[in-house]
Amino acid sequence: MKNNKIYVLSAKQISMQQPLSEEWMQNPILYDVPFSRSIDPNFKEYVSPIEARRMGRILKRALTTSKEALKTAGRETVDAIVTGTGVGCVENTEFFLNALSSEGEQLLKPTYFMQSTHNTISSLVAIQTKNFNYNATYAHKGISFESALHDAWLQFQLGKIKSALVGCHDEMTETFYQIMKKGGVMGQDDERCGEVAVSVVLSDNAEDAHPLCRLTGLKMLHQPLMSDLEEALDAMLQSANRSLDDIDFVLTGISGNHQSDGAYLTEAKALFGDKPLLKYKHLFGENFTASGLGFYVAAQCLKAGQIPAPLFVHADEISDKQPNCILVFNHSDGKDYTLTLMEA
Amino acid sequence: MIRPVYITGTGVVSAIGLGKTATLEALLGNRSGVGPLKYLKTEHKEFPVGEVKLTNSEMCTRLGIPQDAVTTRTALMGMLALGEALEEARLTPDMLPKVGFISGTTVGGMDMSEQFYLDYLNGDAHKEYIAVYDCGSCSEMTAGHFGKFAFATTLATACSSAANAVIQGANMIRYGEADIVVVGGSECITKFHLNGFNSLMILDTKPCRPFDATRSGLNLGEGAAYLVLESEESARRRGVKPQALLSGYGNACDAFHQTASSPDGEGAYRAMKEALELAGLQPVDIDYVNAHGTGTPNNDVSESQAMMRLFSGQVPPVSSTKPFTGHTTSASGSIEAVFCILALQQGFLPVNLNWSQPMDNGIVPVAKPEKKTLRHVLCNAFGFGGNDSSLLLSKTDTV
Repeated sequence: MKNNKIYVLSAKQISMQQPLSEEWMQNPILYDVPFSRSIDPNFKEYVSPIEARRMGRILKRALTTSKEALKTAGRETVDAIVTGTGVGCVENTEFFLNALSSEGEQLLKPTYFMQSTHNTISSLVAIQTKNFNYNATYAHKGISFESALHDAWLQFQLGKIKSALVGCHDEMTETFYQIMKKGGVMGQDDERCGEVAVSVVLSDNAEDAHPLCRLTGLKMLHQPLMSDLEEALDAMLQSANRSLDDIDFVLTGISGNHQSDGAYLTEAKALFGDKPLLKYKHLFGENFTASGLGFYVAAQCLKAGQIPAPLFVHADEISDKQPNCILVFNHSDGKDYTLTLMEA
Repeated sequence: MIRPVYITGTGVVSAIGLGKTATLEALLGNRSGVGPLKYLKTEHKEFPVGEVKLTNSEMCTRLGIPQDAVTTRTALMGMLALGEALEEARLTPDMLPKVGFISGTTVGGMDMSEQFYLDYLNGDAHKEYIAVYDCGSCSEMTAGHFGKFAFATTLATACSSAANAVIQGANMIRYGEADIVVVGGSECITKFHLNGFNSLMILDTKPCRPFDATRSGLNLGEGAAYLVLESEESARRRGVKPQALLSGYGNACDAFHQTASSPDGEGAYRAMKEALELAGLQPVDIDYVNAHGTGTPNNDVSESQAMMRLFSGQVPPVSSTKPFTGHTTSASGSIEAVFCILALQQGFLPVNLNWSQPMDNGIVPVAKPEKKTLRHVLCNAFGFGGNDSSLLLSKTDTV
């Protein structure tokens, strides 16, 4: 199968760390609470006051990170906009559900409904950037981001697109967090939960830009056996003309959920031997699309040529070795697995 | 040389029946499944809907699932349709680890969560339904009923979700990432979106009349359909008969408004044009268009404009089958694709029921039953947010 070059031209985030900034690499904000909402930037550069009044946070963050990512990439338009979200626009969904419960089925406000559907995010970005090209939204739990990335990846390989804006967004209110925790979906053990807004611009060429890194492999598996994971890893490395030795660091989705973390450690050992392991959810929080923040973290580390010490899982593995190749290893509920290969 | 993508199995459940045999009979007999609300618990009894004529309990019985299983109506309908598709394609559980699964839904498990929302806030009752609220969980329950697939993901682009699932699966096969991918979608009616659509004032209290001068809104429907997409080599190797060929597809964004289509249907035009270009066909090669045709004043004029522009005024026969099933939202792209495949195989034009008066600036749809040999058909699915998709399906006899 072909493996066309894909450059990551830019990656922007709004999360519980400083928004639209890589300040977390030098001075990460440390949290001691199980759930935090994002630190929002001033949105007025990208969202007018009238719009801002009607728009939920998830939409403002999506617009802001998207436009910032496009600006940094030096692109006014892209061939595809693909978005991942676990549960879409929670604030508006809650408003509508609350209204249904308390006021009944009459005189409901259309705005809440209009801005509650999952693909509102992706289409709003298209409306505001006047983009008539390919547009899709994926909602598949902890691999929603990779699903969107995979869609773009396929189209790059088929030569259908030369550029893409891939994003992932999830918001979480206190109420929704409590519900998710009650349902055993997140917030278990020492898991810290947050919100996600990530926008990434990908391109098949980097002549006029300073790319962060390259995306050289992506595999998604459902309920794989260890042998399936090994086979996928081999195939991915071979396609990228790499070997296991070339992987410098493995970025995992270790989050504080004991069962899930245990699985990560066992599986990583089996797949990657003694490679140094990294984590990011202790700084950025867990949510369905947190893996998009993982992608962002890997990209920034490759650009910076160093891994900040707080990312290391094991203190005795901390090093200032320059990363050239990071494997991002993610699983969702122990059912869906993704392997993403990123290189300087 | 583009790798051909065949369809080797299909399955469907909607207001006009469970399975293709019942569905075909209804289509040929011009028998609509839209009627008064019977299953959904809502105050809004004034809206005709296209409900699947089975309770959740009856679906569980048919599927051999315990009555107290934690599941959703979206997943149950999905399982019914998926079973039929897998059987036709002769895919047994032991073969599924090499097969992908891509489903489209936007309401997911909201049918349960909207009932239990206050419980979620106030205690522990029904908390087991929290984990099946989201879209991905519904897809996994649907697929998991049959076995372990190699790959699973979910599209959530409102009314074009299932159509986009078809597109994604086709891209996987063309790239060589998979030989077989099952694609489609499922969506049940919920109080949430019934009220949502009502708040937008686009529901009709009478049966919908797409492309009619008196049209005044849509009827909601529900259902599920799946298609087994397969590469040529795989179909040949397995000796399984193709039902149709997926010749082309297109996805474009109208980039106009969250819930209304642009007056000139730019997104719709681009999606259909892309499907034609991918298939290497000309507009004159299209024998029939299964329109999105919801029956709203806005969609029908927008889609008409797009078709008139694409076909330079020489529009082929067009019909909307939404008067049969209601608007099945996320599942509509795959349900109507199955109708198109039945039409290709049986050689007939599905009727645009309830039509009598030509609309201004619009196309005149197929109003009477007609037998016709069809070679290539377009199937449109346009979602909120301007997520417009179009599938081009072609008749095939052999691999």
